[in-house]
This record gives sequence, C-alpha cells and structure tokens, in this order.
Amino acid sequence: MIYLDSAATSLLKPPEVGDGVLYALTHYASPGRGEHTAANQAAEAVYSCREEAAALFHMPDPEKVVFTMNTTHGLNIAVRSVVRPGMRVVVSGFEHNAVIRPLYAIGARIDVAEGELFDPYQILNSFRHKIPGAGAVICTHVSNVFGMILPLEEIALLCRENGVPLIVDAAQSAGSFDIDFPSLEAEFLAAPGHKGLLGPQGTGILLCRDGARPLLYGGTGGLSRETGMPSFLPDRLEAGTQNVCGIAGLLRGIRYIRSQGAAEIRRRENILLQRLIMGLNEIPGIRVYSQGGALQSGAVSIIPAGIDCESFSRQLGEKGVAVRAGLHCAPLAHITAGTIASGTVRYSVSPFNTPEEIDKALEITEKISRNSYNM
Amino acid sequence: MHALILFRSLTYAQRGSRILGTRGIVSNVIKAPMGTTEKGCAYALSLRRDRLDAAVRALREENALFERAFVREEDGRYREIIV
Repeated sequence: MIYLDSAATSLLKPPEVGDGVLYALTHYASPGRGEHTAANQAAEAVYSCREEAAALFHMPDPEKVVFTMNTTHGLNIAVRSVVRPGMRVVVSGFEHNAVIRPLYAIGARIDVAEGELFDPYQILNSFRHKIPGAGAVICTHVSNVFGMILPLEEIALLCRENGVPLIVDAAQSAGSFDIDFPSLEAEFLAAPGHKGLLGPQGTGILLCRDGARPLLYGGTGGLSRETGMPSFLPDRLEAGTQNVCGIAGLLRGIRYIRSQGAAEIRRRENILLQRLIMGLNEIPGIRVYSQGGALQSGAVSIIPAGIDCESFSRQLGEKGVAVRAGLHCAPLAHITAGTIASGTVRYSVSPFNTPEEIDKALEITEKISRNSYNM
Repeated sequence: MHALILFRSLTYAQRGSRILGTRGIVSNVIKAPMGTTEKGCAYALSLRRDRLDAAVRALREENALFERAFVREEDGRYREIIV
C-alpha cells in the first residue's frame, strides 16, 4: 500500500514508536497511583514525554503540557475554558468541526474571517478587521483539507495587540513546523499525537498558557481529600488513568522529531508534496487545489472529472493508494473554497513516503482519471 | 537522617527531581506519608538531610514550586522545618 493519508493518521512511523507502546503494555502500570516499579516506570515515561513535548514547542514548563485523547479533546477543553454563550469568536474559514461544533454547542457567535484559498494576505486583512472587540480567536495553523498554511504568527500578533485570547489548532502542523508556543502568547495550542508527532491513535497534547476549565472530573492521584479538581496544571485537566501505552509511543515519536528537527521533516515532506502537485497538475481532467505548493504543507486536494470523489478514492484504495475523500470534517473549508457540493480527494504525505511511491501513486491516479474522464 | 520536600503533584515532584539531578543532588520521588499533608495523597522528594538546604536553593533558583519540607526524626515521625 502507498499510504498518502497521513493528514488523518501517520501510519508510517519510526519502529521505536511501536516498540514503546508494546513495552508499556507489558511493563507499565498507572503513574501516580502505586509506588512499585511498574507505576514508577510509567510515571517516568509520562513525565519524559511531557518534557520532550515542552522542548519541541520551546516551553520552559513541562507541567503546562496536558495529555489528551486527540486534538478534538484538547480543543473542547480550550473552547470551554475561553468561550462563553453569546461571545463573538473569530475563526478562519478553514476550521475543522473540532472547533465549529464546540462553538455551536456553547452558543457562541461565530464570525468567520473570510478570505480566498491561498490568499493569506486577504485572510490576514479579514482577521485584522474582525479581531478588535472579539471575545476570542480560534485558528488552524494548516488547513486539513487543502494544506494551506495560515499566517499564524501575524494573527497571534493581532490578538496580542488587541488583548484577545487565541486558541491554535495545530492538528496539521505539529511535528513539521518549528512552533514557539510562548512567543505566540496563545492561551492554548491543541495537537494530535497520532499525526505529525508520530505517536499512536488516542494521544494528543494541549499546551496551556495558564488556567483552564476541566472537561472531566475525577481522580488525579493527588489531593484526594479535596472535592474539587486541583487548581494547577496538568492535574486540573488530567482526571482518570492516562493512556500510558499511547504516551510511551508518543514519547518515541517526539524524540524522533527532535532528533531530526521539525524543519528537516517539513523539508522532506515539501519535496514529496511538490512532486505530487506537479504530477497531479499534468493529469488531464483533474482540478488541483494548489498554487504550486509554496503556501502549502503536507496535503493537496483534487476534484476528478467524470466521477465522484468517493468513487475515485475507493478505486485508488483498491489499487493500493490510500487517500481520503469527502469533506474531511471541515465543511467550512469547503464553503470557503467552493468545494462543498463535491468534497475533494485529499492526498497527504509523510516524511517516510518515497519519491518512487509518489510516482507510482501518480501513475495509478492518471489511469483511474483517464478511465473516468473518457467514459 | 533524611528529609522530604513536599510538592503539590507528582509532575511537580518529577520536575524537582530533574532539577536536583542536574545539580548532583540525589533524590527519589515518593508518595508522601499521609501525616505530612492534610489534603490527601501527595508527592515528595526524599533526599539526604544534609542536602536539603542546597536542594531548596536549587528549586527556588529554577522557580520550581514546592509546598513544605520535613526532616525525619529518629522515632520515625516527620517534623516540618522552615526553609
């Protein structure tokens, strides 16, 4: 199989990630509960992962790294902590349902900073007009549908200038961008463990600036006689037994990224993505959503001619090319790009793909497209 | 004789232990004896009594928050000391 669905989950991982999960499964117990070797080793692995994640995002305080189940979990905590009913919240036109649905659930007034696909200046200008007076800003760093890079640092600056709290969705950028969380001065940054950080599914991190409202209430292994959740991080947001096996794998994934450097990983991905985009552009009948790739990271969407995206994706899968079709849980991004009626087929790369795989995927894409286009 | 430095959670105790380790001060993260805290389960660093002052200094220099400090008496009880 040629796996080009890493924007959903990075199936291709360094072998030590799986080794870490397996070792934890048979050697680690619950951190912060017992005092035996299995509990102590688990605690060491969890804290080491906190340290590695903090270092990756240039954070001096590992305790402000909170483990979550996924980005959605982290974003729900962040939104519940910052947003109140009726609050005007400015979002980009590329947000995932992990942002939009919690906002609807709370009853926030969603104010979309509109701007065309691959026009960061227009998008930034829209943020500039809408941020003053807003209760919060939530912005994805990279669109999960189109791979478009949003001007996060400039948006963060606007938030700071206007005293508006910022929540960052780094689902598609964590691990392949050098993100300096303290310098953004964002309230929260949510990232998945199972995508660019190369950990297993069921892991994620939430970087916190200060306080937060718990989403779950329960045991933390400490302050047991108190009826409320602890006031401090990470305990405040980590009720219940943690996904220790997942975190042990995530630890290996983040260590791998730090050993390579996020910039190097992005460079490798960009070479593959450029190759993919160039090849897709040469296939007749395919509409490629790209401006050459300079404003893009990790993913590219297409719409084939003469066939729906889902059938096209299925045929690719049957021939061994794994991609994703549909709305990618981000209908707002499709409304922005004008693709809401059809959805798109998304190809997304990982640093472990090879140029040969890209060429083979293009060859198969071309064959399916030619058959569909000429029917 | 050994001493305990009490922290508000396991994570803070782990951070403290890392800091002390970089200064050559050996410590172990332990679950604090129930008599040292009124809030239920807590975590502490166990270390040699003669390293307590250096440890406290190191933690303060690194802005690592801790709660209280104790020394273990010969009868096995812990006595809080002001550091």
